[in-house]
Amino acid sequence: MKPKLVILSLLCFAIVAFRSVDVDLFKVPKNFPKPVYDFSKNPLSEDKIQLGRALFYDPILSRNNMISCASCHSQFSAFTHVDHALSHGIEDKIGFRNSPALMNLAWQASFMRDGSINHLDMQALAPISNPDEMDENITHVVFKLQASKLYPKLFYKAFGDSVITGEHTLKAISQFLLLLVSSNSKYDSVMRKQSVFTSQENNGYILFKKNCSSCHTEPLFTNDDFRNNGMPVDTTLNDFGRYRVTRNPSDSLKFKVPTLRNIEFSYPYMHDGRFKKLSQVMNHYTNGIEKNKSLAPELQQPIVLSSNEKVDIIAFLLTLTDHSFLFNPDYFYPKELFSETAKD
Amino acid sequence: MKSNKTFFLLLFIAVYGGAFSQTNSVQFSVSTTFGATHLDLVDSAFTTSDSKHLKITEVKFYISKIQLLRNGKIVLEEKNSFHLVDAGQTNPLIIVVNNTQNISFDQLKFNLGIDSATNVSGAMGGDLDPTKGMYWTWQSGYINFKLEGTSPLCTTRNNEFQFHLGGYQKPNYCLQTLSFPIINSSKIDLKLDVQKILEQVDLPRTNHIMSPSAEAVLISKVVANAFTISKN
Repeated sequence: MKPKLVILSLLCFAIVAFRSVDVDLFKVPKNFPKPVYDFSKNPLSEDKIQLGRALFYDPILSRNNMISCASCHSQFSAFTHVDHALSHGIEDKIGFRNSPALMNLAWQASFMRDGSINHLDMQALAPISNPDEMDENITHVVFKLQASKLYPKLFYKAFGDSVITGEHTLKAISQFLLLLVSSNSKYDSVMRKQSVFTSQENNGYILFKKNCSSCHTEPLFTNDDFRNNGMPVDTTLNDFGRYRVTRNPSDSLKFKVPTLRNIEFSYPYMHDGRFKKLSQVMNHYTNGIEKNKSLAPELQQPIVLSSNEKVDIIAFLLTLTDHSFLFNPDYFYPKELFSETAKD
Repeated sequence: MKSNKTFFLLLFIAVYGGAFSQTNSVQFSVSTTFGATHLDLVDSAFTTSDSKHLKITEVKFYISKIQLLRNGKIVLEEKNSFHLVDAGQTNPLIIVVNNTQNISFDQLKFNLGIDSATNVSGAMGGDLDPTKGMYWTWQSGYINFKLEGTSPLCTTRNNEFQFHLGGYQKPNYCLQTLSFPIINSSKIDLKLDVQKILEQVDLPRTNHIMSPSAEAVLISKVVANAFTISKN
């Protein structure tokens, strides 16, 4: 009886210990809701995350081995393409939209400005195949990875199988992306009562809650839904957003509500990057709304803000900057993996 | 004499053993034809009933959720039932469903395509791996059925036609559930006749479908009606 008990308790301890390792890899921040991503279908492990990180930074995903995910998603700009209204990809081809900032993706149900991608795992297929971005295809990517010196080893470590598949490639990329959690801004520390807003930031926060938070919902600063925010259509692009996916006229000009976290560094703004500065964004919401059938219900009544109030809101938005995210070494280019010795 | 006995004994074992193993499973053989001819993609010049020559270059489709029923109730079901059929393969696809208890049935059901729930479940392996070329990249979703070729009826570049049928959301949900009466057979042949499909499609007008649409749903129904089954 007793030895059985010992074994049983040891077993329990082992299970608990094993689980706690998994839990440590992804922590839901205290003020955040439950993630949307189903981790049970893609259990995290350190080796898979590191493999995903290598794939994220490796231009092997593109046709000419020159463009990586990081080309349009650099860490210092909250994983977007800073300074370009429309992101450019392979051979300097100009894309159709402004690349979105990447963070808190575990809480996102759909991806892309128009929600055309239904699962984080499938997201990477779009830029890999887009002729203006990487112009490759996943079948050939897997072929190239299999033929490399580095990847069969990394896949074996991660999945216990050196035969590379599309499934494992995409799941590894997801694992790295899931770890891009931004939850340590000044705003978060204020919410956790570890810090306080200045009076200007606080005034901005009050105005934000009154005018902006119905779509840019706390704590993720997006409701993960689609809205027409009253921007006149750019006739050089004729991008009708969500309509492209659903073909439903009521979805015309609707785009995914983006998170405002790290907005200080993720300029330019909007799906086509038409605004370079936050002050322009403020002016759009007070003076630039174009009324049409699909305009967001939240914007039917005009937003009235004095120029001082706009400055206060911007001061609040700057509290959403998360330096521990923008400079987190866990997200850096994995130079140790890509050094010549590691490849041999 | 002795060798003769052994021969009969071996024959007995072979026949009996064969029959025994047959009754312990249901074996499906899935193939693609053009009319009565086996569809050969390498050398595929066919003549339709209106004497127009055409070529088929690709036929690929998913069969999923294979079920056997008796009196309308499911009695046998294949687990993880997703199969990619590729007419480019020389041999027909063989699917074996275990029937260890010799359960009798009177109906076969299966889906042409991939169901909605699977479409939103992230990356998957095996026949569902996106490297199989049956997943859209610009907009999430599996391609249930692919048919490509050339016909003089198409005024397109190189007279090409391309049907990529898929769509997992209403109103353009393309999945088709097929049902056939079939009584207790251990070998079932499932055939898709591409000629039947092309005779139902107005090729001069409809020759390119590459995204979920009402037309994709319509042609998915045409494809579903081009299947036949027979006991083997």
